[in-house]
Amino acid sequence: MRFDLKYGFLTVVALLAVSGCREVLEPQPNNVLTADIVLTTPEDVPAVRVGLYGAVRGTAPLTVVAGDLTADMATHNGTFTVYNELGNKRITSSNGAASAFWGSLYQVIYISNFIQERLPRLTSVPQAQRNELLAEASLMEGYAYFLAAYTYGDVPFVTTTDVDANRNLPRVPRAQVLDSALRYMQRAIPNLPDSASAITAFASKDVANAMLARFYLYNRNWQEAENHANRLINAGRFRLESSFERVITREFDSETIFEMGFGNTSNDDPGTSTFGLNNIFIGRREVIPSNEFLLLILSQESGERRLTVDFDFSRQRGSDNGFSVNKYSGPDQGFNNITLFRLPEMYLIRAEARARQGNLTGAAADVNVLRRRARAPELSVGNQADMLTAIERERVYELAFEGHRWYDLVRTGRAGAVMSAFSSNWREAYERWPVPQTEIQRNPALRGQQNPGY
Amino acid sequence: MKILLRFFLFSLFVLPALFPTGLHAQQTRTITGRVTQSEDSEPMPGVSVSIKGTTSGTLTDAGGNYSLPNVPERAVLLFSFIGRQTQEVATGNRAAINVQLEPNVTELTQVVVTGYTTTQRRDITGSVATISSEKFKDIPVVGMDQALQGQVAGVQVTQSSGTPGGGITVRVRGATSINASNRPLFIVDGIQVEDGALALRGFGGQNDNAFSAINPNDIESIEVLKDAAAKALYGARAANGVVIVTTKRGKAGTRTRIEGDVQRGFIEMVRKPQMLNATELLELQREAITNGGGDPERQGLIPGVTNGVNTDWVDAVTRRALYQQYQLSARGGNERTQFYTSINYRDEEGVQLNNRFIRFSGTLNLDHKASDKLSFGSNLMISRLRNDRVKGDNFLDGVYSGAIKSLPFFSPYDEQGRLYGPNSGGYAGFPNFNPVAQALLPRFQTFATKIIGGLSAEYAFTRRLRFRTKASVDFNGVTEDQFEPSSTAIGGFLPSVGGRGYGVYSNGTYITLVNTNILTYSYAIGENETHAFDFLLGNELLQRTERTASVSGRLFPRDDFTYISGSGALVDEGGSFFIQNGLVSFFSEVKYKFKDKYLFGATTRYDGSSRFGSGRRFGFFPSLSAGWRISAEPFMEKYTFFDDLRLKASYGFTGNERIGDFQFLTQFGGAQYNGNSGLAPTVLGNSALQWERTREINVGIEASLWSGRLSGTLDVYTNLTTSLLNTFPLPTTTGFGGFQGNIGSVSNRGIEFAVNSVNIDRLFKWRTSLNLSRNVNRVESLSDTLPLFRGYTATGITTTNVIQVGQPLGTFWGLNFLGVDPATGDAIYEDLDGNGTITEDDAKVIGNAQPKLLGGITNTFSWRNFDLSLFFQFSYGNKILNFSNTSLLNAGQDIQTNQTREALRRWRRPGDITDVPRYQFNPDRAEEDNPNNLHSSRFLEDGSFVRLKNISLGYNLPKEWLTRFRVQSVRILASATNLLTLTRYTGPDPEVSTLDGSTAAQGIDFFTFPQVRTMMVGLTVGF
Repeated sequence: MRFDLKYGFLTVVALLAVSGCREVLEPQPNNVLTADIVLTTPEDVPAVRVGLYGAVRGTAPLTVVAGDLTADMATHNGTFTVYNELGNKRITSSNGAASAFWGSLYQVIYISNFIQERLPRLTSVPQAQRNELLAEASLMEGYAYFLAAYTYGDVPFVTTTDVDANRNLPRVPRAQVLDSALRYMQRAIPNLPDSASAITAFASKDVANAMLARFYLYNRNWQEAENHANRLINAGRFRLESSFERVITREFDSETIFEMGFGNTSNDDPGTSTFGLNNIFIGRREVIPSNEFLLLILSQESGERRLTVDFDFSRQRGSDNGFSVNKYSGPDQGFNNITLFRLPEMYLIRAEARARQGNLTGAAADVNVLRRRARAPELSVGNQADMLTAIERERVYELAFEGHRWYDLVRTGRAGAVMSAFSSNWREAYERWPVPQTEIQRNPALRGQQNPGY
Repeated sequence: MKILLRFFLFSLFVLPALFPTGLHAQQTRTITGRVTQSEDSEPMPGVSVSIKGTTSGTLTDAGGNYSLPNVPERAVLLFSFIGRQTQEVATGNRAAINVQLEPNVTELTQVVVTGYTTTQRRDITGSVATISSEKFKDIPVVGMDQALQGQVAGVQVTQSSGTPGGGITVRVRGATSINASNRPLFIVDGIQVEDGALALRGFGGQNDNAFSAINPNDIESIEVLKDAAAKALYGARAANGVVIVTTKRGKAGTRTRIEGDVQRGFIEMVRKPQMLNATELLELQREAITNGGGDPERQGLIPGVTNGVNTDWVDAVTRRALYQQYQLSARGGNERTQFYTSINYRDEEGVQLNNRFIRFSGTLNLDHKASDKLSFGSNLMISRLRNDRVKGDNFLDGVYSGAIKSLPFFSPYDEQGRLYGPNSGGYAGFPNFNPVAQALLPRFQTFATKIIGGLSAEYAFTRRLRFRTKASVDFNGVTEDQFEPSSTAIGGFLPSVGGRGYGVYSNGTYITLVNTNILTYSYAIGENETHAFDFLLGNELLQRTERTASVSGRLFPRDDFTYISGSGALVDEGGSFFIQNGLVSFFSEVKYKFKDKYLFGATTRYDGSSRFGSGRRFGFFPSLSAGWRISAEPFMEKYTFFDDLRLKASYGFTGNERIGDFQFLTQFGGAQYNGNSGLAPTVLGNSALQWERTREINVGIEASLWSGRLSGTLDVYTNLTTSLLNTFPLPTTTGFGGFQGNIGSVSNRGIEFAVNSVNIDRLFKWRTSLNLSRNVNRVESLSDTLPLFRGYTATGITTTNVIQVGQPLGTFWGLNFLGVDPATGDAIYEDLDGNGTITEDDAKVIGNAQPKLLGGITNTFSWRNFDLSLFFQFSYGNKILNFSNTSLLNAGQDIQTNQTREALRRWRRPGDITDVPRYQFNPDRAEEDNPNNLHSSRFLEDGSFVRLKNISLGYNLPKEWLTRFRVQSVRILASATNLLTLTRYTGPDPEVSTLDGSTAAQGIDFFTFPQVRTMMVGLTVGF
C-alpha cells in the first residue's frame, strides 16, 4: 500500500511536469503576429495598409530634416549631434538623420514589396480591393525611390523581401532608379481611387499626379511638370485657404493634396523622438530659424507667411535669436500632421515650368495667386532670370520647413553659391547626403561606394 | 556479509542503524548522557551519537539527552554535529557520558549550500565562496548584492550611485555577454528572484533595485558559485555565476531566542564636487568671452552685479540625511518544529532633498517533522517599499546634475521665498532648471510589494533515498505614482510633453513560479566507506509572467489636480502589456569519493527555454570535476600542520538565455497611422537562435593549516563564451536593422586568491581575511571586424565606448590628448593618420574600465568584550571617464554651466604649463569648432581607489550584568561606511557608473550622484 502511495505521488509529479512543459515552453505571443500569417486573411488588408502609410509617415519628418536643415533655413541651437552636424554643415557619414532617412525609405520599400508579394495570392479578397492596395504600395515605393535618388544619388534597388538577397545589393545609377520610380508611380494611377472618394491622408490619383508634377520639375521636363500641376490646379477639388494662418493651424485643410496624419490625443502622436518635428522645433528647439531665413520670411514680400515663425523675447540670448519654427504643433494644438503635397506647390511648379518655357506672365500670375493670399505685394513681370529668382524665393516663403529648400538649390545648381555664402563649412559634397556608414559596413556590395567627399 | 545485510535492510525501507545486528556476541549495555554547547552549556538537540566502527547510533533529543543501547565493551563513542568538532570518547566502564561540543574553528566541515544540495566545504571540487551574515551584520547594507561587495574573490560589486535603494552591478568572473544580461543568477530560498530595476521609468541612467526589497538581516548566508562544477547544475542561466541566498531558519532549543536590533545614524556626502564660486566663474567667463573676441558686458557679465549672488547649488539640494532601522526577530522550536520570524523597518533618507527609501518587511520560516520520514518546510518573506526618487545623472532637469551645472549667479528662491520656475526671468533658462524646485516639487513615488514564498516537503524512503519537492513564488507588484507640476521642467517648460503638468501612473506585476523536484540517493560501500556515492536527479519548471499598464496625462487644469481621473487632464498615452517566458529543466549529479581522498563530480542539466524556436529549445550543460586530498596521502603524514590540502579541477559548460522573448520569430507588431491601428514588420526572426554557451575551466587549491588558523584558496580559470546572443547587423535595405543571432565570443581569464588567518588567538584576538582577484576580459570575435560603438555620443568622435576584437568590454574610445600647447593654450591631440587635421579618424582606444586587480581585506580585533572590524576595499588599474567634465571643464564651450575648480588651472597666457586648455567662448560656434573640448583622453582618469568601506566597533555587555534583567546579550555598535577613500580621481567619487548595469559602457561619471557616508550607532538586545 505504501509503495503505491509513494510511486503514485511520483507519477503525479512527473505527469504534472510533462503537461506543464508545453504551457511553459510555448507561450503564445500575444502582442505580435508571426510574419507568415500576415496577409493571409482579408482582415489583414486594412491593417497592413495602415502599416504602409505608417512607414511613409516615418519618412516625412526626415524630408523636412533633409530639405530644410541641410540648407540655409536653420541653425543648430540644442545638444543633439545630428542637428549640430546639419546646422553647422559638418555632415558625416555617421549622421543619425542620414541613416534614419535611408532606413525609413527602405522600410516603405520593404512593406510595398511585402504587399506586392503576398496580396496577389490572397484570392479571398475582391480583385478590385487588392488592386487598390497594390497601386498604393506601388506609388509609395516610387515616391521612396524618388526621395532616395535625390537625397543620396545612386542607391540600391530592392525588388523582393528576401533578406539574403537584400543584404548584398550594389548602388544602381540614379537615372535608372528615377526611371523605376517613374514607372512605379505611373503604374499605380489606374487602380488608385479617385480623389473625391478619399480623404487626403491616403493616396489617390491626385496624389500620384502631384508626385509626378514634382518628379518632372526635378527632372527638368517642364512641359510634363506644367501638365501635371495643371491637373490639380484645374481639378477644382482643392482651393487655397483664405489665410495663411489656416494653412499652418489646420489639418486636412482645403489645399492639402497629401498629408501624413497623426491621431491627436492617443498614442499615435509624433512624440518626443529625435525626429519629432514639434520636439525639435518647439519642444527642445534643437534647430531654430537661421537669421538669413528670418530676413526673408519677415520681409514685406513674404506677407502673412511670417507666421511660419514665432518669436519669444525671453528666449533671446547668445546665439539664440528667440525665433521658433511654428509649422508643427504638439498634439494638444492639433496641427502636428506633416503635409507632403499641397496646392500652392502646384502653383509654384507651374510657375517655374512656365518661366522656364518663357511664359513669364503666366509664371507671375501663379506666383501672385500665393502673394494675394498672403496679403503680400504682387510680383511684376521681369526677365526670366529675375522670375526664376523670384520663384526660388517664393518657394522659401510658401514652403519653408516642408522639406524643399535643399532639393531646390541642388536641382537648380544654386546650392554652391547660396550655401557657401551661408556657411564657410559648405562643401560641394553636401549636395548629396552620405550613404550611411552602417550601410556600407553591413552591405558588402557598398564597400568603397560612399558618395565623394564623405 | 554486512553489506548483504545492509542491502537487505535497505530494501525493507528500514533504518538499518536502529536494528541490532545480532552478529556480535559480546556483552553490551546502555549508555545515557547529555550533550551541550561548550560556550554556554545550552543543550544540543540533534547531535549524532554513534559507536565508532559500527552503524549503530542515535540522536539527542530536544534537551540534548541521548540513550544508546547495546554498546559493547571498550567501545568508542562519536559525537558529531554540523559546525562542531566531532568528539571521540572512550566509554571505559561508565554508564553516563556527558559531552560538551566545541564549535568548529575550521571552515572545513562547514556546510555549503551548492544549489540543490549541500556539501561539506572539505569535499568541494568546484569554486564556491560563502559569506556568512556575520560579515555584513554590522554594515548598514540595503540589499544582498551590496553585502557581497569586497567580500569575495572574483566578484565585482559596483554601486552605481549614492542613491538609497539604487542600482548595483554585480559581476562574477567578468562579463560574458555583449547584449544579453551579465547579471548573475540570484536564487533566494530556491527561487530565481527578480533582478535589476522594478520601476518602469528610468531616471537618467539611475534605476531602482529589486534586491533592495529583500531584508539582508534575514539572510543566514550567501554562496557564490563561480566555476562550472559548482554552477553547471543551473545550466542555461549560470554563465554569469550563481548567487545562492539562504534565509535564517529556526533552531531547536529549550529557549526561544528573541533579538531586537536598533540602528540609527546619518548619511552625508563623502566629497562634494568642487565648483567655482560666483566671482571665480565670472572672471573665467569674462576671460572666455574676451578670448573669443566678444564683449563680456554685452553678455550681462558685470563684476559686482552678476556675482552679487553666490549660491552653492550642491549645498542647496543636499542635506545630512537620517538613517534608521529596527528589527525584531525570534527563532526557536523543538525537535519537531522550528521557526524563524522577523519584522524589519528601514527608513533611509537620501542626501538629495526629497529622496527617501522606506522598507517594511517580515519573514516567517517554518520547519516541521511530521514523522521520521516526512518533513515540511515553508519560507515566507513579505516586504513593502516606498521609494521617493529624484531624477539624476544626464537628465537636464536632474537634481544633483542640475545643481553642479547651475550658475552660482542665480538663487533657488525669489525675494518672497518662492521657488523660481522654468519660465521665470530670475533663473537661467534652458538647458538649466532650478534644481531645488526639481527636487521639491515633483512627486516620484515608487511603491513595491515583494513576496517570496515557498513550501517544501521531503520524504525519506530510506536513510539514503530521499525525495524533495518545493514550490515557490516570487511576486513583485510595483506602482509608480508621479506628477510633475507646471512649475517644473517637464510639467511646465516643454509644451510637447507637459505644458501644464505631467502625470504618470503605472502598475506592473512580475511573478515567477518555480517547482523543483529532487530525488537523492547516497550509497557507500567498503570499510570506512571506501567508495561513497551521491546521486541526484531533479527537474524544475519555471514560469515568469510580466503584466504592466501605464497611463500618462497632460494639461492639468491646475497643479492641485495631480491625478488624471476627475481632473479633466488629457490622457496623453496609455498602454498595457503582458508577456511570459518559461524554462523546463532536468538535471542530475553524481559525486564519488574514494577513500575520502579522491573526489569526483559530474553534473548535467538539460534546459528548455521558451525564448528559442522549437528546434533549438533545449540545451545541454554538463560539467566534470575532480579533487585530490593531498593531505590524506601517506607522504604527507609528516606534515601534520596540514588539516586539509586539496587540489581541484573542473571543466564544464553553462549558458545564458536572457534576451527578449520571441526573438526567433519574424514578427509584425502594431502600427498606427492617422488614428488607425494596423500592422507593420517589427522583428526579423532567426529560427536558429541558440543559447550563449560558456566553456569554463577552473583549477584550484584549497588548504587549511594549523587547525584552521590559516586557510586559503587559490583558483585559476579560463572561460570562453561563444555564440554570443548578439544583434546580427543587416543593412536596412533588407527592411530590418538586424536580427538576434549568435555571433562572436568573449573570454575571461583570471586568478583569485582568498586567505583567512587567525593572527593572534589569546585574550586579544586578531583575524584577517583577504581576497584578491584579477580578471582579464577580452572580446575574441565579433560578427565582422568593424567595431561596435556604444556609450554616449561625444564631441568630435563617434561614441565614448567601443567594442572591438582584442579589447575588453568597457573600452573607452576617443582622441589621444597630448597636453596643452604652452604657446597658444590649445589642446594638442595625437594626429593618428598624420593628415594634419584632427578628425574622428584620429580616435583610438584610450583605456578601459576594468580593474587590473580588485579585492578586500577585513581585520577583526577583539579584546574582552570589545570587537573592532576594519574592512577595506580596493580597485586598481581601472579607468573612469569623467564625462561630467565635458561640461564642467569645457574650455569655454558655453557659459551656461558652472566649472570645477580645476578650471582655475587653465592656460591664461603664453608660457603657462598646464593640462587645462584655454577658455574661449564664441556664441555661434559649433561644438566641433572648439578644438579644446573634443572628446579625448583628457577626460579619462585613473579610477583606482582604496576605501575604508566599513569600520565598526562593538561592545558586548558582560553577562553577569545582564542575567538579573533576564537578558541574554546586549551589544552596542558604532559603525561607519566610506569613512576614508584614497584615490587620484578628481570627481567626487571613484565608485560610479552612470549607465547603471551597463557592461559595454561602465565606469562613466556623468553627473552621477556620488557615494555617501553613513555613520550609525546600533543596539542589539538578545533575550
